Amino acid sequence: MNSTKDSIEPQIISLLVSYLAPRWEADPQARTEVTGTTNLTSDLTLDSFQVMEFLMEIEDALDIAVDMNSLSDVHTVSDLATVVASRVKA
Amino acid sequence: MALLDKFAAVAAIRAGLNTSSHDPTQVVIDTIISATEGIVEGRHTILAGTNNYLGLTFDPACVAAGRNALAAQGSGTTGSRMANGSYATHAALEQELADFYEMPYGMVFSTGYAANLGTLAALLTPGEAVLLDADAHASLYDGCRMSGAEIFRFKHNDTVSLEKRLQRLGERAENCLIVTEGLYSVLGDCAPLKQIVDIAERFSAKLLVDEAHSLGVYGDQGRGVSEAEGVLNRVDFVVGTFSKSLGAMGGFCVSPHAELQLFRYVSRPFIFTASSSPSIIATTREALRQLRARPELRQTLWRNAHQLYQGLQSIGFTTGPEVSPVVAVRIGEKEEALKCWNQLLELGIYVNLMIPPASPDSSSYLRCSVSAAHTTAQMETILKAFRELRKT
Repeated sequence: MNSTKDSIEPQIISLLVSYLAPRWEADPQARTEVTGTTNLTSDLTLDSFQVMEFLMEIEDALDIAVDMNSLSDVHTVSDLATVVASRVKA
Repeated sequence: MALLDKFAAVAAIRAGLNTSSHDPTQVVIDTIISATEGIVEGRHTILAGTNNYLGLTFDPACVAAGRNALAAQGSGTTGSRMANGSYATHAALEQELADFYEMPYGMVFSTGYAANLGTLAALLTPGEAVLLDADAHASLYDGCRMSGAEIFRFKHNDTVSLEKRLQRLGERAENCLIVTEGLYSVLGDCAPLKQIVDIAERFSAKLLVDEAHSLGVYGDQGRGVSEAEGVLNRVDFVVGTFSKSLGAMGGFCVSPHAELQLFRYVSRPFIFTASSSPSIIATTREALRQLRARPELRQTLWRNAHQLYQGLQSIGFTTGPEVSPVVAVRIGEKEEALKCWNQLLELGIYVNLMIPPASPDSSSYLRCSVSAAHTTAQMETILKAFRELRKT
């Protein structure tokens, strides 16, 4: 598996779009494009609990272990991809 | 951003709650009448959200024990046990808790929150791994954070999710701690402890179970879900609180591991907190005696739990996944839940409002907690009020 951040980021975006799909279905106005610079809280209005829930989805999809402590400096999709890529490498 | 600017967001949240006639975060019980009744805004109100499971807060023996200790030993200890020394009654309570759980070691903390913080912060160190149920109480999260250990969440009550995460940890799994609760306090569902213990043992991991809401409620002796599931002797650390079934304040940890005795030297929430006042220790000890001597309290509690759970379901409400003394009613949207909560208060029923992010999912809930002290007539009054919600 190519574990670089660049290859991880599209996977995270895809997972994120799936995670947000029910919410966007209920509120189509909330739908937005997700890119590496998308901020998880200010752009997608995810609260800290939802970010932690999404992290579990990533762990299961990629079969990796990511501790929640590593989320403290995560703001954007790109930040998250960096953290996840480091765990995939490990 | 200036230091205080961040509170603007808090003010906005609070304003959102204040759009109704009562602010759920600002309820004042002007007069407390009994374990199940108070006066709120001049109205006689049935208290159905106080976690007073055994109804012991007004028990004559508990009150007398507290009064006698207050007179004999004074109002407070004025410092920590490490600095000021322990009173004999602190040590006696620790021994009584250890005896109750049939474990050799016990330790008492000044609050339930401090018990979780102090136990986890002592037990774990940076670099170690802890697996935490996603719906665990904030005090368990905070204790794990305080320890500096790496925190891996597993899906709530999902043993497959737990096992997957242990497998991913590889060799680290042998040195990790699994943290779960007995009875979860929002939805009133129990952990599958038998399966969790089996998994922990298979991976040689240690297990901590928080029985805060299940002490006095589950098990033949009232020792919690671990006892009810027949696995108490396979749990490494049991933590709990005195502020629910025991009607007092404080927390504890019991364990078969002798190292618990050494937590006193490294647990900052234990070392740097004033110890519990003698009257609190006395009421707790008496409440524990009552819990042990009066199994009929549990029987009454469960009768009431069944009455409320089944009654709410028959009205058409969606309740938590299983019958327990915590009965959560799913309302859905926050605004609707706030409206229903207000209506209940005006009808003289106090319950808890649980809204995101404090609720375990994106739904809002009216959370009821049942007491052995609730009468059948009070339970009927509560159900009548919920029926009124259906009419509006």
